[in-house]
Amino acid sequence: MDHYSDYSSFSEALVGFSQETRRYGLHSGIQCTKETVASALEGLWLDKDQFCYALSALFCHSEEDKETFVKIYNRYWRQRGTRINDKRSNKNKSTLVKQSVNSAVMVGVGNTGHTEDSVDSKTTTGSNSKETIKKTDFSKLNIIQEKELEILSEKLVSEMSLRIKRRRKKMLHGQIDLGQSIRKNLQRGGAMIDLVKTKQKKDKYRLLILLDVSGSMDKYSFYLLKFLWTLKHHFKQIEAFTFSTSLLRITDLLQSKHLSTSLFHVSQTAKHWSSGTKIGECLKDFNEHYAKRYLNGNTLTLILSDGLDTGEPEVLGEAIHKIKLRSKKLVWLNPLKGMQGYEPIQMGMKTALPSLHHFGSAHNFDSLLELENILIHA
Amino acid sequence: MFDNPKELIPVIDKLGYVIEEELATVLFLLLRLEKPLLLEGNPGVGKTQIAYILSDLMGFELVRLQCYEGLDVNNAIYEWNYQKQLLAIKIHESGQKSEQEKEDLIFGEDYLLKRPLLEAIDSDKRKVLLIDEIDRSDEEFEAFLLELLSDFQISIPELGTIKAKHKPIVILTSNRTRELSDALKRRCLYHWVNYPSMEKELKIIKKHIPHIESALAEQIANYVHKMRNLKLDKAPGIAETIDWAKGIAALEGDDNSIYNSLSCLLKSEHDMTLVSSELFNK
Repeated sequence: MDHYSDYSSFSEALVGFSQETRRYGLHSGIQCTKETVASALEGLWLDKDQFCYALSALFCHSEEDKETFVKIYNRYWRQRGTRINDKRSNKNKSTLVKQSVNSAVMVGVGNTGHTEDSVDSKTTTGSNSKETIKKTDFSKLNIIQEKELEILSEKLVSEMSLRIKRRRKKMLHGQIDLGQSIRKNLQRGGAMIDLVKTKQKKDKYRLLILLDVSGSMDKYSFYLLKFLWTLKHHFKQIEAFTFSTSLLRITDLLQSKHLSTSLFHVSQTAKHWSSGTKIGECLKDFNEHYAKRYLNGNTLTLILSDGLDTGEPEVLGEAIHKIKLRSKKLVWLNPLKGMQGYEPIQMGMKTALPSLHHFGSAHNFDSLLELENILIHA
Repeated sequence: MFDNPKELIPVIDKLGYVIEEELATVLFLLLRLEKPLLLEGNPGVGKTQIAYILSDLMGFELVRLQCYEGLDVNNAIYEWNYQKQLLAIKIHESGQKSEQEKEDLIFGEDYLLKRPLLEAIDSDKRKVLLIDEIDRSDEEFEAFLLELLSDFQISIPELGTIKAKHKPIVILTSNRTRELSDALKRRCLYHWVNYPSMEKELKIIKKHIPHIESALAEQIANYVHKMRNLKLDKAPGIAETIDWAKGIAALEGDDNSIYNSLSCLLKSEHDMTLVSSELFNK
């Protein structure tokens, strides 16, 4: 750069680029802009590839950012004239376009005539979109939202597990053990430097999940199963069963690191999927064959069902009462509870209610995340 | 030292690391801007190795901090040498020193145990600081790092702020088992390290096992790439590929060496079964 005027316009073009990245959701602050100018001053603008790599290292903060960045970069530096939907003032716009021509010449990229896809707003999903997906009823999700929810649920459940682990860890710190502290500090002349705290016994909790996969739960059971798979990979002690007219233990089927593999295994094994509902019979079966092994004073039992039972209410009442007595907490999450005006007046739900510690909804991802509070206080 | 990222490529290549122009540009920026570099990617793609290569390249000693859950200031930054402090108190008990002087004495640098982070900034020589697998540490620890990453200084309540005598070259790696905070990311250059392309993996194999036949190397790289597209519990990394190639070379004369040495590459029964059936029809 031989002229001050050229140098100045290039800097402004870089600032413009920084603003552009912000517009598309990349987190680029003033510091980032300053470093962009600094990296350009290191001579990297002379080579179009190096210039792109350098800006990528400065503007991207994740693998996903890179895809968005490349699109913005190509549009800005290679097709400046074709920018659309720019809401900034015309004055600013024309100035920037003028500068960009100079800048493009400077970085040696010019207009290659190569047409890139426009920056898709979907690639920069904002927090609003995530909130919407979290709050959408499972039965109303479209294919794109389903995919996004899969990614989101993995992230949120992982964070939830971490939070629960940490809070429980903190709760384990006990009182100062005076005797142990004196003994430990004897070698230091009795000066109390290291304080020993009493260790509370680690309370190992178990999570037992019973998922209703009967026909009436069709709209929800698939998503709930996916949720179970995600939970299984973040919580060590989980036991999972599906039920409709019969009971099936699926814990091992959820072991695979790949969701699709797990779903395939479940689909191959769960022959009772989409059939009738005999909640009472299935829970009775559970009590007879599995309760001794999987229920103890530390188990939180979670039933995911709409409660539309076609069996004898007495059987259900007795079975659920037994589960309550053997569990630390019994929680029932019902997808129908998310519907406006829902009342638990069906015989099955009415029978089960008195035995429950908590009755909540399970119609969207947000309602499932409520589980965090239940688990922390379990 | 280097005027252009391209100058880095042959030098790093000589050190045994096959590098592309993109990463070379990022390393060039790291050296020029003196900004920490965050490397994210799947396990086994060579993130940690980059720090070792930089250490060799620049001739600076490497200081490594391996992160884990529960890592705290005492293990990462500094701790007081309590025994030495107590001894000093006893020695000066009947001395003429005032309380303040005694306190200043025992909270001086002589009584400080330097942990990796402090060692990296308080050294007379410039160092390469590797903060490995930062995603394993707690969020609280990430917060401790912010001051170091942005200002290259550490505040110790009893001593004040210790500024870096020489700014270390800082490399952070993460396997992305959790998202790091925006505050930390903002302070770093970022590069996602991907599995290598076929061509690059071939170069890597040949670099590590120079006497390997080209056809065999190609076959190995080809298999590994196919495996990475299968739904394995643990996709093979570069180190495993090299181990496998070495394993095959060691089984020279065995007609079935490729299949029989799969244990160098695959680490679970599930993966072994899947690869056997999908790629070897067994």
